[in-house]
Amino acid sequence: MAAKSYDWAKIARNPKYLELRRKKRRFLFSLWFCSSVYYFLLPVLSGYFPDLFKIKMIGVINFGYLFILSQYVMTFCVAIISTRMANTEFDRLTDELVNEVG
Amino acid sequence: MLTKIISALLFVLALATVAPAAEPADSSPKSAPAVGAAAQSIPAGMDVKAAGAVAPPPLQTKVKPNRTITISMFMAIVGVTLGVVIWAARRTTTAADFYAAGGGITGLQNGWAIAGDYMSAASFLGMSGLISLYGIDGFMYAVGPAFSFIVILLVIAEPCRNAGKYTLGDILSFRTSPKTVRAVAALSTVTVSLFYLIAQMVGAGKLMQVLLDIPYRVSVIGVGVLMVGYVAFGGMKATTWVQIIKAGLLMSGTVFLALLVMLKANMNPVAFFTDIVNNPQIQDHVRLTVLKDAVARPGFDYGQRFLEPGLFLKSPLDQISLGIAWALGAAGLPHILMRFFTVPSAKEARKSIVIALFINGSFFFLINIIGFGAALYLSPQLISSVDKGGNMATLLLAQKLGGGAGSFGGDLFLAFICAVAFATILAVVSGLVLAASAAIAHDVYVNIFMDGKADQKTQVKVARVTSLFVGTAAIVMGLMAEKENVVALVALAFAVAASGNFPCILLSLFWRRFNTAGVVSGLAVGTITALALVMISPVMTYPQKIADDAKKVMTTLEKKQAEGGVLAEKELKSLEKARGDFQKNDGGTSMTGLKAPIFTLKNPGIVSVPVGFLAAIFGTLLFRDKRAEELFDEIEVRQITGLGISKASDH
Repeated sequence: MAAKSYDWAKIARNPKYLELRRKKRRFLFSLWFCSSVYYFLLPVLSGYFPDLFKIKMIGVINFGYLFILSQYVMTFCVAIISTRMANTEFDRLTDELVNEVG
Repeated sequence: MLTKIISALLFVLALATVAPAAEPADSSPKSAPAVGAAAQSIPAGMDVKAAGAVAPPPLQTKVKPNRTITISMFMAIVGVTLGVVIWAARRTTTAADFYAAGGGITGLQNGWAIAGDYMSAASFLGMSGLISLYGIDGFMYAVGPAFSFIVILLVIAEPCRNAGKYTLGDILSFRTSPKTVRAVAALSTVTVSLFYLIAQMVGAGKLMQVLLDIPYRVSVIGVGVLMVGYVAFGGMKATTWVQIIKAGLLMSGTVFLALLVMLKANMNPVAFFTDIVNNPQIQDHVRLTVLKDAVARPGFDYGQRFLEPGLFLKSPLDQISLGIAWALGAAGLPHILMRFFTVPSAKEARKSIVIALFINGSFFFLINIIGFGAALYLSPQLISSVDKGGNMATLLLAQKLGGGAGSFGGDLFLAFICAVAFATILAVVSGLVLAASAAIAHDVYVNIFMDGKADQKTQVKVARVTSLFVGTAAIVMGLMAEKENVVALVALAFAVAASGNFPCILLSLFWRRFNTAGVVSGLAVGTITALALVMISPVMTYPQKIADDAKKVMTTLEKKQAEGGVLAEKELKSLEKARGDFQKNDGGTSMTGLKAPIFTLKNPGIVSVPVGFLAAIFGTLLFRDKRAEELFDEIEVRQITGLGISKASDH
């Protein structure tokens, strides 16, 4: 157990804490939601609209292949975006809050 | 003392790997070793493929690695990892050392270790094989595992690091009745880990049998002894380093192989895919084996079809269901969760997931190059003649691009890739044993029986003994499951993690009212639903179906015979086999007493995940718990801010 004890209920009412919580929730859950929608487009499109996947884009390389590739790009982008947000915004707000209550 | 035991282990393994040379090789292991998830759903009956349409040229039917080089590479891996174990064992004195490496792993190291935990031999061998036989569908299959880190990164990793200590039970029992919840969480952890573990052990046994003619029993015991050694002596520290070494080897092998493919294709992806489309062997394979068109449809581009979906993944609903299991299941796997506690802070936990995500994503992307390269440079016919599930594609490609069978370069590269597969198996099973042992030793023994009052020395001792028992149990079960269909077990592990563990973790972190009743009903109902659905799904073995397939072969061949045709030797053999299969299986039922699957999807996720969530929510609403709600402020502040974080080095 940590040596220090905190008044959790009091911190939970701190405006800085509420701001951090709101920002974090809104950002993380919407990013999760959007990336999931994009991710589930893959089985839905390939399963129910296979003709779309067959459209040739670059030589013999078709839309399907590029769309699958884009899933990897999307995953990497989500990681980069969320890391940037966490490193700048969330860590700063957290530090401010911890300094205030700690 | 310790050094002695370890050298004894080394000796046993040396015997285990060399002894088989004296024993006659088992003649039957030609069927798909089903290394794991990817190999799982190769349609049964692929072996009765378009017989006799075109007389194929005689093909290689076995991968033959050079035993001396391969076994020396295996021994090198065993030597290095045991060195790590000796080093780690000296530094493992407290429970925090044993379960969480004292919190002293950096984000970078942990990222490699998580990637190591997650990239199994199934993905390394199975997915490239799938691509080489079914084209783009295999590549699509690989998106799920790459995506599964997103949910961990966004909503699981940091909060869990801030709110937990060593295990799933620690997170879930924070504001609930600790003993009940720990017991249920431990049960679920042990179930998931053992399912996964047995599947890996059986896959390992069969792989070694095919590659090096090492008898199944010897390799299961050899792998088992090593994994117990790693975990019991070196705890999390050794397991982490074994994972890092494995991930490093696996990535170098993958990058190198993909690079060779790209060089051979002159770094030109468009020309590479054009060659695939125009390759007559791939066209034949798609036409005869996959689509079973005996006569070519006029104007149909069978080569292009290889790059279009639907050759392997035929049911969209099943794909969505599988997608759910990938997207949420990884976040509920206890051995992955446990890795967050090895780093000192949430920031490092986040960093480690991002690193794991990049390694993992690049890995699955490279696997696509290897898979298509195998199809083009080896031909699907060759790959499926060696193993009908395609599991040997990566190995064959390494041999070919290294200089061909028999050449020194070919032997060396093939041996290296075999060694990578071996290291992969060792690392994955060690992580699983550690997770299962932690649940029993930390949750059940220390926190339920001893009320959390056990000194460090006892805790470590108990953890070591437990891992010995878990490992032994896994070896015994692995030996018993030799002839079983282990594919169902992998599906089961992921389904249980996604439907039982994941809803409970998410709700306990984000829902104020969530309480003991919710955890228990969520875990129980989610797990049981997933389990029940898999038991009645097509992934189980249905003797009646085997009998029916055999009957079809019999009818065709007997008709040919009756019409005065002479059967080739091969046909006579398959007729005999079909008769045997029919006799053995006709009227038989699956483990659950069924003639045919009731639930038609291979993956239960689309049903069991919502059921798990609903059960967790209903359970919570039925039994209101004021104390759990009051404690929510604490867990929420902790998970968001990291205040009062349980340093793994605190006692």
